[in-house]
Amino acid sequence: MIRFEKVTKTYPGHPHPALDNVSVDVEKGEFVFLVGSSGSGKSTFLRLVLREYRPTQGRVYVAGKEINRLAGWKVPRLRRDIGTVFQDFRLLPNKTVTENVAFALQVIGKSRKEIKDVVPETLELVGLSGKGDRMPDELSGGEQQRVAVARAFVNRPMILIADEPTGNLDPTTSVGIMKLLDRINRTGTTVVMATHDAGIVDQMRKRVIELENGHVVRDQAQGVYGHQN
Amino acid sequence: MQLRYVYSELGQGLRRNLTMHLAVILTLVVSLTLVGIGLLFQQQATRAAEHFGNQLQITVYLCRLNDSNPVCPNPVTEAQKAEIEAVVAENPEVADYRFESGEVALEKAKELYGAELFSGDNPALTAEDMPQTIWITLEDPEQYEGISSAVQGLDGVSRVRDLREQVGPILTTITKMRTYALGTAGLLVLAALLLVANTIRLAAFARRKEIGIMRLVGASTLYIALPFLLEALVTALVSVALAGGALAAFLHFAIGDLASNLRFVPWIGWDEFWVAAAAVGILGPVLTLLPTLVLTRKYLKV
Repeated sequence: MIRFEKVTKTYPGHPHPALDNVSVDVEKGEFVFLVGSSGSGKSTFLRLVLREYRPTQGRVYVAGKEINRLAGWKVPRLRRDIGTVFQDFRLLPNKTVTENVAFALQVIGKSRKEIKDVVPETLELVGLSGKGDRMPDELSGGEQQRVAVARAFVNRPMILIADEPTGNLDPTTSVGIMKLLDRINRTGTTVVMATHDAGIVDQMRKRVIELENGHVVRDQAQGVYGHQN
Repeated sequence: MQLRYVYSELGQGLRRNLTMHLAVILTLVVSLTLVGIGLLFQQQATRAAEHFGNQLQITVYLCRLNDSNPVCPNPVTEAQKAEIEAVVAENPEVADYRFESGEVALEKAKELYGAELFSGDNPALTAEDMPQTIWITLEDPEQYEGISSAVQGLDGVSRVRDLREQVGPILTTITKMRTYALGTAGLLVLAALLLVANTIRLAAFARRKEIGIMRLVGASTLYIALPFLLEALVTALVSVALAGGALAAFLHFAIGDLASNLRFVPWIGWDEFWVAAAAVGILGPVLTLLPTLVLTRKYLKV
């Protein structure tokens, strides 16, 4: 589903590459934690998957497409196969919960009927049924993140990318979000989650890829956050 | 494609950036009007030059029937015309020349004074009353004495007219006004472009959250840019409409006034207005859409 082949990414003006000769293969339906300190290359990894950047060297394949060769006008189509969740939720403050989720479908041209069917279904999946008419600022942080997850998942993407989704949440709420991501993963969606949250990684016992200074220093099938000796 | 969002964004965008849009519209109206006026002057200059000949030309009037000039007892003959032509063709000061028949001269008179005067049972003038002419284009407008005196004494030549002194200033004025109008328009067009660019930057900033999400969920670039393009189109259309009105007013009042006072010059009319209006109608949208396309590509890059 996601394949990095000897990928190096150097940003202009930076002498050291953000990713250095990274090769990773993520299968369909996998759940992968991307761990490592700030500046280790996690965000660059995710941005390459989203084709916000192209690699300087090497090849990146996402959902069967080689993103190096992907023409600019085809990028939106690629992103419809990828849902994205961020630490800071990124909800539209002047839209209700339902509108926020529907927005993702509206702007890719889905019909009104389809939106009407799918949005409540997705809100129910994330545990927010009955809160569709609330404004984002009336919700708790955890609930806001659920809205963001609903928006990322409403188009049933093949891949869900989560960049520190629990970074702004307390541990209890974080567990709720992780259960949600796990449930989404069980529907067959590949989940890649960058995180600093050791507790969560240890608890979930999923595949862990650790980055350090742009290198993969660990790729472990049922890993924990810290090094295992 | 679901356009509900696009339309609601369009309305919101127009309201949110109202003052910027007004600034764009005002600047565009003035610059488009000046462009239009420049084009009207341009056409006016062309028309006047067609009628009088341009400043590089002198006109040789050939003898006509009942010519008032005593050197013309009879209308010019073909043999005399051939001889005159030979002199003209050989002269080094002459760049080009052409004959104009009495019929053509009559048409020009009709254009200035109205066709009624020349039709019916007792027309004021007929083609036979009008002299045949040779229009000579000079190599250098200052070098005309040679050809003038060479032709002057020939049989069949009534007189040589050098209209440069009378028409010259009019043509110069019209050409100058065209240049001023287009020059000022050029500066204002630049100002309009900068204003459009600034408006887009503000609008992109105001919508940055929406745009960020749209990019992430895979909205097409066109879909994201559409509200911007429509906003640009709306401001362009309003500007073109207002500029068209201003041009019509200019033609009606300013040119209309001149035309009724200076009747010996053929003045432009509504045909020329539509040419200028069409040019403005194309230029307006281009001026707003082009920077919008370029900048949305920059600011909304996927």
